[in-house]
Amino acid sequence: MISERLRRVILHELNVPDIELRDDMLATEVPGWDSLTHVSVLAAVEKEFGIRFAGLEIMRLKNLGDLQKLVAKKTGTG
Amino acid sequence: MSLPETLWARWVRHAEALPDARAVVHWRAGEEPTTWTRRALLDDATRLAHVLREHGVGRGDVCALMLRHEPRFYPLYMAIAALGAIPSVLAYPNPRLHPDKFVHGLSGMAQRSGLRWLLTERGLESLVTRVTNAENSTIQGILFPHEWPRGAATAMACDASPDDVCLLQHSSGTTGLQKAVALSHRAVLQHVDGYATAIGLSASDIVASWLPLYHDMGLIAAFHLPLAAGITCVQIDPFEWVAMPALLLQVIARERATLAWLPNFAYNFMAERVRAEELDGVDLGSVRMLVNCSEPVRADSHAKFLERFAPLGLRADTLAACYAMAETTFAASQTRPGSAARVLSVDREALRAGRATDTRDASAARRCVSSGIPIGGCVLKAVDGDGREVADDAVGEIWIQSESMFDGYRNDPEKTAEALRDGWYRSGDYGFRRGGEWFVVGRKKDVIIVAGRNLYPEDIEDAVGVVPGVLAGRVVAFGIDDEVLGTESVCVIAESTVRDEAGQRELRLAILRAGMAIDVTVGRVYIAPPRWLIKSSAGKPSRSTNRDRVLGGELAAQ
Repeated sequence: MISERLRRVILHELNVPDIELRDDMLATEVPGWDSLTHVSVLAAVEKEFGIRFAGLEIMRLKNLGDLQKLVAKKTGTG
Repeated sequence: MSLPETLWARWVRHAEALPDARAVVHWRAGEEPTTWTRRALLDDATRLAHVLREHGVGRGDVCALMLRHEPRFYPLYMAIAALGAIPSVLAYPNPRLHPDKFVHGLSGMAQRSGLRWLLTERGLESLVTRVTNAENSTIQGILFPHEWPRGAATAMACDASPDDVCLLQHSSGTTGLQKAVALSHRAVLQHVDGYATAIGLSASDIVASWLPLYHDMGLIAAFHLPLAAGITCVQIDPFEWVAMPALLLQVIARERATLAWLPNFAYNFMAERVRAEELDGVDLGSVRMLVNCSEPVRADSHAKFLERFAPLGLRADTLAACYAMAETTFAASQTRPGSAARVLSVDREALRAGRATDTRDASAARRCVSSGIPIGGCVLKAVDGDGREVADDAVGEIWIQSESMFDGYRNDPEKTAEALRDGWYRSGDYGFRRGGEWFVVGRKKDVIIVAGRNLYPEDIEDAVGVVPGVLAGRVVAFGIDDEVLGTESVCVIAESTVRDEAGQRELRLAILRAGMAIDVTVGRVYIAPPRWLIKSSAGKPSRSTNRDRVLGGELAAQ
């Protein structure tokens, strides 16, 4: 499940209204999230959680669930 | 001057001369690169050409390639050329593009361009079958070339003539109304040879590229040029680069690449987004030219890029620029190798009135970056509204004559006649000349360029116009500057009777989704009350007037 904190930081960065984000969603299904905003969304997530992703970790993300898991792993909550 | 030949004949000549030289190297993050030597590439292309022929592909057939950017792509493209058939690289559909829009768009394109074969991947089969099953489809078959076994590499002689069409280049868009630029073997080879001279190309040059191959810059500058010149090109899938922009810099450093072409946003994108820890050991000292092209060149973007990467050995004199379009094969003008693109500070108001006048007042200045001098075989002129050539420093529409001019828009004599008259291609771009150098400062058409990709406001307005709650025909779309990314962002103003906050929020989301369905990211939405939009003299809502009004703060963004 996508945590409220992750959902908020993503939607805030994309400047889109309050919508539900699900594990199985692809980034391209979220309004405003495209190849150009991808890196800035991930940078906002890094800043929010005080973590750093490696380029390869970013490339292997398939959907929002993967991102949630990576955040959990990095913050030691997973 | 070499004798006219076909692309295939040129490639064969290079492979025979130096069979073991590296032709194409494909990099993937975290993996060893795949290397195609000239001989291996040509052998695989030959094998594939035989299989294509067995499937019925023949001379003059238009073969659309809808495949991901990976090492198997290159020999396939060349195999089509070997048969004298016509490759046309199409964008691999973004998953957010609505299936109905995709089918509609591809059907329209197939009709207009006369696509005969569709070469794709199994994953797209159900989608593309909807196109080929349509009653009047021109597409004769869907082929899955990645699944084919290879036969023998017995020699293949290309029976095309140098004046035959060798490729089709589609303008971007998803509506099916895209124009297809048809180029001959002669035009492409003449162009890349002339362009090679303009950039001082030598046998030791190495091209690095993350560009998509459905775009003229990626296809001509970063693929056809190195193949025809017999130098190495190093390719990266654009989807990988955009997720990890440091990849291009790592590849340049590892391969000692000397040349790259980049749309303006890429300079900002790399300066802003590359992670410091991914630059360990990266040395950019090998770079000879980074050519900024395919969207307006911004002085700030060059400055930002240089500031970030000069510590890694990037020299200021590498920051080059060119002015290019698919209709002239690629480049019309290019800055000189060995010096940075010149920057002028001209008075913004005077420029608006059509005159380039220098100013020292930074607050009144617009900084214009040179796109260089015409390349060999190209003549440029700026003309006024009556088609009369204007003097240096006067802004006019840029018209171009080129030895490597396109053969016209495929199956579209009307559009061809509009764009190409008496041998001059009317670019629709505004610019001025000073001291032999060209400065492009605006454009006649309302096209929006986002990250090097042309978007047509009409397509966006049509998509948004059918959103429930939006008043029919009462939408305008236009580009606004995105200073951070050094490109444009799409802005929409839509009239609606919905006034409550929750309703407007929903409406805004629906407008964003309507953009997504045609693969357009709408950056900003304004919801206006009925009759807010001012009409132009043509009776339709004016993009420029209404754009100026929202930028002047007349309406709050949602």
